[in-house]
Amino acid sequence: MKAKSTTKTSYHIPIGPIHPALKEPVHFEFEIDGERIVDVDVKLGHVHRGIEWAGSRRNPIQILYLAERICGICSYCHPIAFSLAVEGIADIEIPERAEYLRVIQGELERICSHMLWAGVAAHEIGFDSVLYITWEMRERALDLTEYLTGNRVTKAITMIGGVRRDITKDMIPRIQKDLKYLKDNFEKLRHIYLDDKTFKLRSKDCGILTNEEAVKLCAVGPTTRASGVKKDVRVDTSYFAYGDLDIDYMTPDVLTGEVNGDVYDRIVVRLLEVKQSIELIEQCLDKMPKGDIVAEPKVAKLLAQLKKVEGEGIGRHEAPRGEVVHYVKLTGEEHPYTWKVRAPTYNNILPWIPMLKGEQIADIPIVAASTDPCMSCTNRVGIIKDGNKNELTKEQLHQLSIQKTRRLMK
Amino acid sequence: MGFSMLGQVFAQMFKKPWTNKFPAKYQPSNTTKYLAKVAEGKAKINPPIEIPKGFRGKIKYDKDKCIGCKLCIKVCPTDAIEFKPEEKKIKIYLSRCCFCSQCNDICPTKCLSMGDEFLLADSDPYSKDLIVE
Amino acid sequence: MGQTRDIGGKKMSKNLKSEEILKYFKDEFKTKIKEGKIYKRVAGSKKNEKLGIWLKIDRTIFKDFIKHLCALQFPHLSVVSGNDLGETIELIYHFTLNSGKRMKEIELNVSVDLPKSKPEIETVCDFIPGALVTEREKQEMLGVKVIDIPDTRKLFLPDDIPDNVYPWRRDKTGPEKYYKNLHEVKK
Repeated sequence: MKAKSTTKTSYHIPIGPIHPALKEPVHFEFEIDGERIVDVDVKLGHVHRGIEWAGSRRNPIQILYLAERICGICSYCHPIAFSLAVEGIADIEIPERAEYLRVIQGELERICSHMLWAGVAAHEIGFDSVLYITWEMRERALDLTEYLTGNRVTKAITMIGGVRRDITKDMIPRIQKDLKYLKDNFEKLRHIYLDDKTFKLRSKDCGILTNEEAVKLCAVGPTTRASGVKKDVRVDTSYFAYGDLDIDYMTPDVLTGEVNGDVYDRIVVRLLEVKQSIELIEQCLDKMPKGDIVAEPKVAKLLAQLKKVEGEGIGRHEAPRGEVVHYVKLTGEEHPYTWKVRAPTYNNILPWIPMLKGEQIADIPIVAASTDPCMSCTNRVGIIKDGNKNELTKEQLHQLSIQKTRRLMK
Repeated sequence: MGFSMLGQVFAQMFKKPWTNKFPAKYQPSNTTKYLAKVAEGKAKINPPIEIPKGFRGKIKYDKDKCIGCKLCIKVCPTDAIEFKPEEKKIKIYLSRCCFCSQCNDICPTKCLSMGDEFLLADSDPYSKDLIVE
Repeated sequence: MGQTRDIGGKKMSKNLKSEEILKYFKDEFKTKIKEGKIYKRVAGSKKNEKLGIWLKIDRTIFKDFIKHLCALQFPHLSVVSGNDLGETIELIYHFTLNSGKRMKEIELNVSVDLPKSKPEIETVCDFIPGALVTEREKQEMLGVKVIDIPDTRKLFLPDDIPDNVYPWRRDKTGPEKYYKNLHEVKK
């Protein structure tokens, strides 16, 4: 690198907002010195759609479907957190069978989301065959979702006071067959991700987030559990039927015995959670009591009941990416006065800064993808060298990442 | 390529593909003629994949049972249903429908149900195929 | 894992009870705590409880309150939500305490009222660095000025929106001119 006569050259790389492969855009600005990243700046707001404003003009039943379309992959978490908030305000008692059904749907969504992430992580490293194998297994889970709810992604299974569809006796053999398939193939997945030399070389000691930083920056979800912090809404609080089930915090020392807080630990945590979800669904199927599936089956009566209630409420749920919080304020009208949504990725943005400092450019895709952001990373990387703009496309950045893998394997 | 994947990759060469098959292996030069031949029994196509029970497809409306209570209009999240006051019946615009089936749940006479059709793409949002009344 | 957790050299004890927390703050700040109430919610077949505290505090003791809270046990700040109540702007800080032990977590919601003539509040970023994102959001959405915040740029809104439009407000500085009523497209 040629240094200028007066100052040391440092390059600024803006990594732009729109990326076709992921769900939401984000804008990074990296300051780099050679290949090492010195400083990171994050800018957001490219998919601000005014959803909370739209919610202030709709009644609670309509908001359920609006909330579902906040995110495609966490499409169950947002309506359910909103439902929890409203049920807290109106003091609706939920039937026990509905609580267990909600757990089953939530865990099924977690399996699908973590497998999608595992495939994407393998793709960022350069392992396309692992992407296909993982997504092949995910298709079975998606087919099961379609069988249970009517659609693969926008499930529309939540209703304030319960769920909309029941799991009848004749559906249970199909669920058990699919769970058995996932359990049998889990060992294959574990062997590929955790024992393979290339994965270990790329991900160990890369993108480290220490325990103190994770607590101070209020990180949530698998990102913080991989640094050893025990924080999980399902274990910390009692909601749905999680209080009755046997569940524990999944930190990397459950499997490997030590905690480093790097990308490898995040892979470990997510794979452990897939196994935990399969076990939780089996526990639920065993223990599910009989009864109603919704507190108030007549929707018109429910709407009239919600119109009279006043108060404020919080609903929290553990989405695949972390803690989702909804705050609702009802004031005795048809539309809520305030609805605040906090998706888990907003708390996981600040940890990107200590994770990326000191890493190489080729590590940006895998470190950013390891926190499983519900937003996109890169479309074009523009390197500005003394006024000449040289743009790399997404494919070229991806190639950089693959080339590093090849170099490490030699 | 990691050594853990080599076995899988070799085995895949001898296995059948896992994905669902297209109706015909190679695209026919004239689709309508090909379909006519299939109807006569002279050519074969791979059957379409079965749609699961409870799938939320195109909405079906039983006009005679409808009483004009407007409850479905109140809960529709996308405002896809319009009331026709002179007949006291409804008109559903499928270009706005999000297939949530909430209108089915709230209807007191159960005149709405979800069908199986999902191939509904069209270039005109107000075309005849996309309005149910 | 023992009962204590090390944060920056200070040892804090876990498993605070909700009555203890409420009593601690009421004794410390006396009349400046305007309202304090504990709520519960049961779930599941075994009817385990979930506890939470709502506190309404005076604006003058806000920074002191946060200092005492961090000394008692380092909280997790979920989000800050805001309400426009006509004459005042209400900010609600949603904290959680006691995470790490099965079913012992307590939600703490602290609400502060700011007058619209002077909507200023101190930052908590020096105690809790993770609050930066949510404080920047309140600055642009509600017009609250956060004193001493490390970064004052807009977060979610585009840069070319004028400075005195605040989307969450319901008075004349609201966003009414800035949306198109696509809802009423001709049917």
